[in-house]
Amino acid sequence: MSSTHPEVPGEPTKTGTAFLETATATIQSFAPINQIHQHLCAFHFYSYDMTRQVEAHHYCAHQNEEMRQCLIYDSPDADARLIGLEYVISEPLFLTLPDDEKRLWHSHEYEVKSGLLFMPGVPGSIERQDMEKLAKTYGKVFHFWQVDRRDNLPLGIPQVMMAFTRDGQIYEDLVKGVENRYGISVAKERENRAYISGPTHGIHPLANGGAKGLKTELREDMTPLTHLHHQYFKLLSTVESGSHRSSGGIGRSSEIRQIRMLDVSSTMSSSRGRRKFRSSGGIGH
Amino acid sequence: MASSEKSSSALATDGDPRPPGQPMTVEQHVLDKGAQILQSLKPVKKMSQHACTFASYSHDMTRQIETHHYITRLNQDFLQCAVYDTDHVHGRLIGIEYIISDRIFEDLPPDEQKLWHSHAYEIKSGLWVNPRVPGIIEKPELENLVKTYGKFWCTWQVDRGDKLPLGAPSLMMSPQPVNLGQVSPELLHARDRKYNISTEALRASRVEFPEPEWINPQADYWKQHGKGFAIDIKLTDMILRAPFP
Repeated sequence: MSSTHPEVPGEPTKTGTAFLETATATIQSFAPINQIHQHLCAFHFYSYDMTRQVEAHHYCAHQNEEMRQCLIYDSPDADARLIGLEYVISEPLFLTLPDDEKRLWHSHEYEVKSGLLFMPGVPGSIERQDMEKLAKTYGKVFHFWQVDRRDNLPLGIPQVMMAFTRDGQIYEDLVKGVENRYGISVAKERENRAYISGPTHGIHPLANGGAKGLKTELREDMTPLTHLHHQYFKLLSTVESGSHRSSGGIGRSSEIRQIRMLDVSSTMSSSRGRRKFRSSGGIGH
Repeated sequence: MASSEKSSSALATDGDPRPPGQPMTVEQHVLDKGAQILQSLKPVKKMSQHACTFASYSHDMTRQIETHHYITRLNQDFLQCAVYDTDHVHGRLIGIEYIISDRIFEDLPPDEQKLWHSHAYEIKSGLWVNPRVPGIIEKPELENLVKTYGKFWCTWQVDRGDKLPLGAPSLMMSPQPVNLGQVSPELLHARDRKYNISTEALRASRVEFPEPEWINPQADYWKQHGKGFAIDIKLTDMILRAPFP
């Protein structure tokens, strides 16, 4: 099957579809997307396997001075694949996180000071103003599309990613790749950033996985039956008190009630007896 | 650490949906503006559609959320969506959804298929809307989407009051015409009021959309199996090529 996208299976986009999307793009409001103001190029590795490393193009928006949310693509091109996302928070916000949560976040101090993290197209002197802030932040990254193992679709489960924390970890050819493409020198920028300092309280020992790897696993989980009981009675009272509000009048609300009753009874009959809700503990070993 | 864990009370909500943190400084605004002028932001500019719909947590289908998808089409069979909790300036990025045609879906291994959900009901019932787009324009795209499957990971559980994105990602499921797949009337009415639309009327106008001939039973896994999925994060030894951290 032919594809205009070199790496994703599928037929080329039809003319009619493309036309529609020009129309929707013009008419609709894209407010959260319009907040995306910054492109950052960085590198991640899989948090259980440092040998698997990925170039990551971040497109970031500020929620406020202390929090950013970023879409991660595998390239800066128009047909780039959306492979993950990152949240970035200030040190004060990071310190409010529960300890178990802190492990999922990584520090940015080394990425910034080494010159590995940069803003394509932006002169160093301007870029450094933001780098000074970023050096003190922590990030949380999930990737959903393992492009480094040549998956041409986003298969499998989310992966926790980590950032580099010292010299010797990143593959040299990854660095050379961005240096050539962007005409930059990471080593030179490192010199320029020597004055930048990291988190005020130092890198928290629980960040960066608490020095451990993190692996995600999929578990089958049963929706608790107690919730079904609760939901049934809650919905009944909503429908009965709200029947005057529903657009179809009395006839429609009784139809809704009937559907709800059928739904719950068929669910209960298909279940095989009560089952205790499995609560998940802390991080397992 | 699991996507199905209860939220930590340390970060419980006080009703304010905005994340904690100081407001943006003038300096940061200037920096951002400067970057925007100098940088091309191409992948983001390729987003061409906004859709508003609903989803529920696969490990707890009683929790339903309204979602806002900002969609890029990579080719006729594949779309990728950045998902937010509202379409406002301060919308929180809550996850990512991928959408594929039935053709591509059928080629996936069964273990992969069980992570995906079908879209036929969601679209035909009028739940999925493109705000501000006239029906006649959205029709061809919707007829296409009716036959697709989606995979949606939610990384920020705003509906349980998390002020920051905590825990592991959650697998999300689409609305379905049975059991807990039905969207709560309150949630639906709130959405319809906001956009001054009627889901009922949309359902009537979409009655003639072609139904898919069949929906793969591996999709919408909970319907056949009564179970959802959760993600656990386990500590392990990292494969290294240099000391860490």
